[in-house]
Amino acid sequence: MEQSQSMSSASQSQTQSQSQTLAGASQTVERYSVEHLTRYAYTAPVSQSWQLLHLVPRSLPWQRLLSHALHIDPMPDERHDASDAFGNTATHFALHGAHRQLQVRMECVVEVGRRPSDFGAAAGASWEAVRDAVHNDPQLDDLVPARMREGTQLVPWSEAARVYAAPAFAAGRSWLESVTDLMQRIHRDFEFEPGATTVSTSVDEVLYQRSGVCQDFAHLMLACLRGHGLPARYVSGYLLTDPPEGQERLMGVDASHAWVAAYSPQLGWVEFDPTNDQLADQRYITLAWGADFADVVPLRGVILGGGDQDMVVEVSVVPGV
Amino acid sequence: MLRSLLSGYSALEGRYDELLSGPGTPRPQWGAFLHSLAEREGAEVGETLALMDREIHANGVTYNVYADPKGADRPWEVDPLPLLLSASEWDEIETGIAQRADLLNRVLQDVYGAQDLLRSGLLPPPVIFGHSGFLNPVRGIRPPGGVHLFQYAADLARSPDGHWWVVNDRTQAPSGSGYALENRLVVSRVFPRMYRELHVQHLASFFAALRESLLRWAPRDAGAKAGAPLFVLLTPGPFNETYFEHALLARYLGFALVEGSDLTVRDGCVWMKTVEGLKRVHAILRRQDDDYCDPLELRSDSALGIAGLTDCARRGTVMIANALGSGVLESGALLGYLPKLCEHMLREPLKMPSVATWWLGEPAAFEDAWKRLDHILIKPLERSVREPAVFGADLSADERILLKARVAARPQRYVAQEWVHVSQAPVLERGRDSALVPRTVGLRVFAVATPEGWRVMPGGLTRVAPGDSRGIAMQRGGRSKDTWVLSDAPVNATFSLLSSTVKPEDLVNARANLASRAAENLYWFGRYGERCDASARLLRVAIAGVLDNTAERRDGASPGLALAQRMGLIDEDDDSGAGLLRAATHRDAAFHQRLSTLSRVAFNLRDRMSADNWRALNQLVGDPVFESEASLPVALAWLDRVVTSMMTLSGFVLDGMTRGFGWRFLSMGRRIERMANLCTALQIATREGRSHGLDWLLELADSSVTYRSRYLVAAEWLPVLDLLVRDEANPRSLAFQTKGLTDYVGKLEFSHGRFASDVLAPCHAALTNLSAADLSPESPVLASVLDQLQRAAYQMSDELSLKFFSHAASRSVLSLVA
Repeated sequence: MEQSQSMSSASQSQTQSQSQTLAGASQTVERYSVEHLTRYAYTAPVSQSWQLLHLVPRSLPWQRLLSHALHIDPMPDERHDASDAFGNTATHFALHGAHRQLQVRMECVVEVGRRPSDFGAAAGASWEAVRDAVHNDPQLDDLVPARMREGTQLVPWSEAARVYAAPAFAAGRSWLESVTDLMQRIHRDFEFEPGATTVSTSVDEVLYQRSGVCQDFAHLMLACLRGHGLPARYVSGYLLTDPPEGQERLMGVDASHAWVAAYSPQLGWVEFDPTNDQLADQRYITLAWGADFADVVPLRGVILGGGDQDMVVEVSVVPGV
Repeated sequence: MLRSLLSGYSALEGRYDELLSGPGTPRPQWGAFLHSLAEREGAEVGETLALMDREIHANGVTYNVYADPKGADRPWEVDPLPLLLSASEWDEIETGIAQRADLLNRVLQDVYGAQDLLRSGLLPPPVIFGHSGFLNPVRGIRPPGGVHLFQYAADLARSPDGHWWVVNDRTQAPSGSGYALENRLVVSRVFPRMYRELHVQHLASFFAALRESLLRWAPRDAGAKAGAPLFVLLTPGPFNETYFEHALLARYLGFALVEGSDLTVRDGCVWMKTVEGLKRVHAILRRQDDDYCDPLELRSDSALGIAGLTDCARRGTVMIANALGSGVLESGALLGYLPKLCEHMLREPLKMPSVATWWLGEPAAFEDAWKRLDHILIKPLERSVREPAVFGADLSADERILLKARVAARPQRYVAQEWVHVSQAPVLERGRDSALVPRTVGLRVFAVATPEGWRVMPGGLTRVAPGDSRGIAMQRGGRSKDTWVLSDAPVNATFSLLSSTVKPEDLVNARANLASRAAENLYWFGRYGERCDASARLLRVAIAGVLDNTAERRDGASPGLALAQRMGLIDEDDDSGAGLLRAATHRDAAFHQRLSTLSRVAFNLRDRMSADNWRALNQLVGDPVFESEASLPVALAWLDRVVTSMMTLSGFVLDGMTRGFGWRFLSMGRRIERMANLCTALQIATREGRSHGLDWLLELADSSVTYRSRYLVAAEWLPVLDLLVRDEANPRSLAFQTKGLTDYVGKLEFSHGRFASDVLAPCHAALTNLSAADLSPESPVLASVLDQLQRAAYQMSDELSLKFFSHAASRSVLSLVA
């Protein structure tokens, strides 16, 4: 029931969008409507549920949140938003009554402009220079790069990752070239294979089996960069995908996405997507960032009871609202 | 006399000796003590040791190795000789520790707040960010009073020049203060006169300060009807190696001992799930590692934590001591920076130095380390079991190259620490008559934050390295000592913790706040205890029947066998003798499993059981009868032992437990189980056993003696059924169970509302209405009453669970979803 509602409201917004896209075609911002639905069905009643969401897109110089709504069913007994350690908006909610299903539907409209991408003169700095700059001047960007060089629970130090990445980091090579090379290597060497990994698959296992999903490639790239003393963070969000040639855009078939932002004092945070071998552009909508996936899980929860659970996630990104 | 005492003792070159200032010359503070000790003859010292062992045993002091529930508790080992420290020596320690604790708290305030130390370069960011104890979600949280560090402990070692140095800081959930307290209780009883005459400073005021401070800082309920605040001690549970200490401290401080599953978060506050419902918790004394405290925001794989706890800390609704994230100070790399930080933050020099430590993330320190390898040890900046400290001097040339390569790959993960030649102190060696021998010692001292400044416990836990080893760690099985801080003036001997800190409102508190989980464990302890007892008696009756060859052959299976099948002890097609033997003595059979289950439940109740009871149970589970093939007579003897042990255990329940809520739950468990089992036995007896006599039934229900004393005739149906069904005075009868249950339920319902009297009242009525005519095996009335009572037993169990234990439901699913 709930599902069909969301489908119809989404297709409405799609028809509305046609005229607006035509009107704003000359502008450099893209407008998207995003819908992210998560539904759990439990085989036994859940008596208590605590959830932590990272489902509010960040406001950034190149990204504006025009509207946002979270529909939670059953209605939570308590709910509040708070800013987390990385400046993301985290939504806490809890259910204290018995329930057999839980549904969280996020709807938003986001405007994405061009990211700063003037790689002209400064692009030449070597990766070692970037490494040493961050080491010698922890003040850079409010200590964030210093924080983003260290191992985490999901991305611990990996000698294997460092060795894997070493060929991309030839002595004296420019930072931008090196990191781009690393991104290309991961894209080339690893198979995108949904289901090949779980949230608990380690970077070393991914390296060994040479397959995974966007989250694994992002973690691997973080391990490679941090292994070379370079700061990088995990970015969670959405990517506009193109429907197959000649077919209509299907709803709910997209997925949330993950990529990596690496830091250089000259260029700031540059976003690399090892899954698709490209720099993030206007098709990338940023939800949240952190040191690894655990910091920005879209839905993270603890429940009492519930038996087995069945989960469905549907994501739709529709351009030109 | 003194000379013989010291005959085996000598100071070591290049080490400080706690006892001797020169050959054969004791230091001043030891004089009186040694003379007094020397007056005791060898035999007397032996008695002293025996006395101590008894004390330790009686108090159930243990230290268990993690995650080994099978009796891995090793008894706590205490050396009777305390470490003596003079007043002036103690002054140096006390002021140094207070200053250091103050400094460390300020460092925590900074790294979780403004982070100026990191920005200014006074503290290299990898020292903090590179330590797993730094918790991002905690950033920006200001705990009540700004107290991140509430309890602090430091491991000290005395260098050859007589000064104390800090080897380690313990800032997360420091353990040992409870063991220090226990050592004091034991050792002061061994040397009561010396304890008094030497003016040893007391420990109790330290714990009183801890309580008072929490009272001052913990948030309160708003409004006029706010009662006394609820404080809890959060333990990871009985598997933890220092669980004994958690239980001891909780009792001593009057706090509720809770596990994560006893707490829940609602409306931004922490609540304890009690049989009375949810009670707001105002302060948590934490003995659980911080990243395991909240599966929602910290480690998601932790089953021990409290979902939402971090958010409560953020909102300031609960005081967590120590605050989440304080473990980051245990970064070994921090030690080298403290002198500079102290000058910067306190504008005074650091009074108590750390053992020289260098963070190898600094290139200069890295280079230097390999030149001084013979004098240093290299260790990871995080405490790690997998990667212990390496003594440079021990390494061959090849090993040095390997070590250097490993460290060079990520030098920021390592520190180099000077190898201090630690002091030695005398211990009393067992087996050698009254001889003192020197052993390496380290001293762990404890401090607590108070609104008036830091308070240092006058004393501490002196740890003794086994043999001549260099490392001192409890987990590897070291001994410990009491630590006596002598004062020049008599100490106020009237001060005792118990009288000064237990206030009238606490007396009420102590009785309430029974955690739902504890109540549930007590209930099941009652049920499983009774089930084991009933199983043992039944097997005994059945085996005796098989052995009793003189008995005439009768038709059909004996009722004992039928009952054993019905109760799941033997399979239906089991050959009677072999099947029963297997049921009683095989490790995989139901009876052994029942004993194991009972022991597991008892394990979770260890804070409420004496060590003797716990040990008795463990012995049953590990009885040699399970090791080899037994014969039927051996099995019988074994079952006799079980029945005796079970009687002892119920004796403990009867005599050793206070009649609080907990006892009530245990008793209800026993009665419900007994009622259900007796109904089953009577059903079998009346339906299938009419031709088998009644002796087995009386034996099973432990009522033979009663019967024989009352009726001088052989067992007949009418008097037997009267005794087992209607007789309210027979503790084995159905009427007795019903009456007791009605009584307990009535009391619980008085305070908690109705839940089971609707089930019980009809049972009571049905039993009362039974006429003598109904007391025959053919009576349909009796059959229906038995059915009714049995259903009632099961229903009572469900109602109890629903009413009181539902809070204790275990958390089953953690989800991380992309």
